[in-house]
Amino acid sequence: MDGAMTSGVILEGLLERAGAALSPVEALLEKAKNALRSTVSEGDRVSGALLEQNQSAAHGLAWLATYVEALRQMHAWGERLTEQGRLSELEQLLLQIGFGEYLAQIVGGIPMNQGEIFRLSDLGLSSDDLRASVAGELIARGNTQSARTRLAELLVERGAEITPGATGLDDELEMIREQFRRYTLDRIDPHAHDWHLKDELIPMEIIDELAEMGVFGLTIPEEHGGLGLSKASMCVVSEELSRGYIGVGSLGTRSEIAAELILCGGTDAQKAQWLPRIASAEILPTAVFTEPNTGSDLGSLRTRAVKEGKDYRVTGNKTWITHAARTHVMTLLARTDPGSTDHRGLSMFLAEKTPGTDDDPFPTEGMTGGEIEVLGYRGMKEYELAFDNFQVKGENLLGGEEGRGFKQLMETFESARIQTAARAIGVAQSALDVSLQYAQDRKQFGKSLIAFPRVSGKLAMMAVEIMIARQLTYFSAWEKDHGQRCDLEAGMAKLLGARVAWAAADNGLQIHGGNGFALEYRISRILCDARILNIFEGAAEIQAQVIARRLLG
Amino acid sequence: MKVLVPVKRVIDYNVKVRVKADGSGVDLANVKMSMNPFDEIAVEEAIRLREKGAATEIVAVSIGVKQSQETLRTALAMGADRAILIVATEDVHQDIEPLAVAKLLKAVIDEEQPELVLCGKQAIDNDMNATGQMLSALLGWSQATFASEVRIEDGNAVVTREVDGGLQTIKAKLPAIVSVDLRLNEPRYASLPNIMKAKKKPLEEKTPADYGVDVAPRLEVVSTTEPAERAAGIMVGSVDELIGKLKEAGAL
Repeated sequence: MDGAMTSGVILEGLLERAGAALSPVEALLEKAKNALRSTVSEGDRVSGALLEQNQSAAHGLAWLATYVEALRQMHAWGERLTEQGRLSELEQLLLQIGFGEYLAQIVGGIPMNQGEIFRLSDLGLSSDDLRASVAGELIARGNTQSARTRLAELLVERGAEITPGATGLDDELEMIREQFRRYTLDRIDPHAHDWHLKDELIPMEIIDELAEMGVFGLTIPEEHGGLGLSKASMCVVSEELSRGYIGVGSLGTRSEIAAELILCGGTDAQKAQWLPRIASAEILPTAVFTEPNTGSDLGSLRTRAVKEGKDYRVTGNKTWITHAARTHVMTLLARTDPGSTDHRGLSMFLAEKTPGTDDDPFPTEGMTGGEIEVLGYRGMKEYELAFDNFQVKGENLLGGEEGRGFKQLMETFESARIQTAARAIGVAQSALDVSLQYAQDRKQFGKSLIAFPRVSGKLAMMAVEIMIARQLTYFSAWEKDHGQRCDLEAGMAKLLGARVAWAAADNGLQIHGGNGFALEYRISRILCDARILNIFEGAAEIQAQVIARRLLG
Repeated sequence: MKVLVPVKRVIDYNVKVRVKADGSGVDLANVKMSMNPFDEIAVEEAIRLREKGAATEIVAVSIGVKQSQETLRTALAMGADRAILIVATEDVHQDIEPLAVAKLLKAVIDEEQPELVLCGKQAIDNDMNATGQMLSALLGWSQATFASEVRIEDGNAVVTREVDGGLQTIKAKLPAIVSVDLRLNEPRYASLPNIMKAKKKPLEEKTPADYGVDVAPRLEVVSTTEPAERAAGIMVGSVDELIGKLKEAGAL
């Protein structure tokens, strides 16, 4: 650890200290789980009513578990880099500040957001044991101003590197990153702000170029016309494209969801028919799930599909449909069992439609739509849709069997959450990119802003939390690639990534001062774009709820 | 027609270069390295020649440290067919001099028998601008430097060159060495399918001893210094004051 010599702020035996801190923090998590379980259980079973009565504590447990997993992954990352001989001073500082800060937050209070802080006392627990353990030194001396200042210096010095700190991914993934970073700088970065301000659709030219680069068939198996690449590579690509513009990084999301739906739930004929065309971007899909009265509570949706002869007729309203106008096929969730009231009566359709134009966005019979104007996450546009006797071919019922729609959708959650976590990282990284530059260029009181500790400290914390979110996301992707269940970790990565992106955008805007509040500056867009991440693909509260339920078993 | 493209691993152009404390050169430890941008243009041009049907095979060659294989993988991901790595040093700070590189390339060319060598006009680390020319002399092949356009016609390379006075077009009989300039093309991004294919393309590893070439340095770096820092300016209120100040400074 050569860095210890140069900066003097790195704790001796850092990696070993971090490793040793895991066991007391894991023990604390066990206690927290048991405490909540005994509070919300009636006999052997978790009671829904009691869980709701103790919702803040339950969600706090989810956050605590997220922190523990994040620390575990940061430590694993540190070990991997040590093996590769790449744990240099910058990475050591990321590790040290990350451990120092997250451990200190576990002790003092974890911000689920700016207004709601989870404290161990909410579960009747004390932080004394953790503070007295080997973690104590990291809590006291891990995240100091001098460590943050030194880290910010290194961020500038190593500014030519694509990521602030080695990611630990292999050379091939880093080559993919480099190519997409260069593409983004050349083709996305110069235009994204304009697309946002003018509220324009991302040009088809860009979609064509991305298709050529292989973005839409990335994880689709080769026998179905895709590239059969890993979820890890999907993360890297999504991250780098979102770093240019969240809209571009999200183009692939709908293809990923549609492909996962078809791969997991489709018949062989459906796989053969749809997957190669999704992979080549010959057809663009859109996801049609949400309704005006059913957002997170998807099981209660009311749009119905009635069988008439061989085909179905769909009637009902849908909303928050991203990229609805320009797409060719809808993955459409509707109720096929009129007698049902929950998720069991739902079916998934691959509903074909004709792509619209600016003048006629919804030319297909039986379907109308209107645009929803939004703060950020533009580029594909949001719509509400109305279906009135809209025809869907019988053969386009996913899997050829009714009543399996909700389960089919659930199977895509892991991938969708990993991809969304990667988008969050890209947005957070773009906030760091523009703010780091601004902090060097902007001079006040005779020096660059970055010379002030409250500015460099913000930048350092962005870099630290981005790396934490990265490692948690890469870990979920790794699990998915190795056939392991990862709903828990993917949810955690999405939950944390969204908060990290919002914090980075908010603090980045703060560094820009009044200029950041001007539409002209890119950070104003990044702030708007970052805001969606806590809402879509499982709002933070739902995400915490799902994690808490899983932890309670 | 087989095309040979030498590529060099150099300090990335975005890096703020730091001189080593002892003045022996630039600090390359833990610094981002990339393919020399001019070499990237040469790779791109070779691929375009193949796409037009003028070239049939593209062989990328790199000479330097073992990590240069990353540079070759990039060339393969862009579209080169195979690669040869000559590991000539273990020390990232040892630059292999143009004459040694030219000799090694000559040895590779004797084996490979390409009809065209497309190389960058210079590497952005030491700005020598010498390897292509030396190689041409060693081989006795025609050369065209600073190309901004390349066409292959009836056994000749028709090359437009960027010269001080404007553009000059010359015809060089093949086999030939063409060194490429900045405005020849804009290199492509490697697509995901091509990055995957690159893994399976052959990358052969050699040493200078395999070719009987001595790469010991013949040049001595006497000193390396950072450019002088720009002195702070002053604000002047009028043109008259500006003229006064310029006269004072002896500039007028």
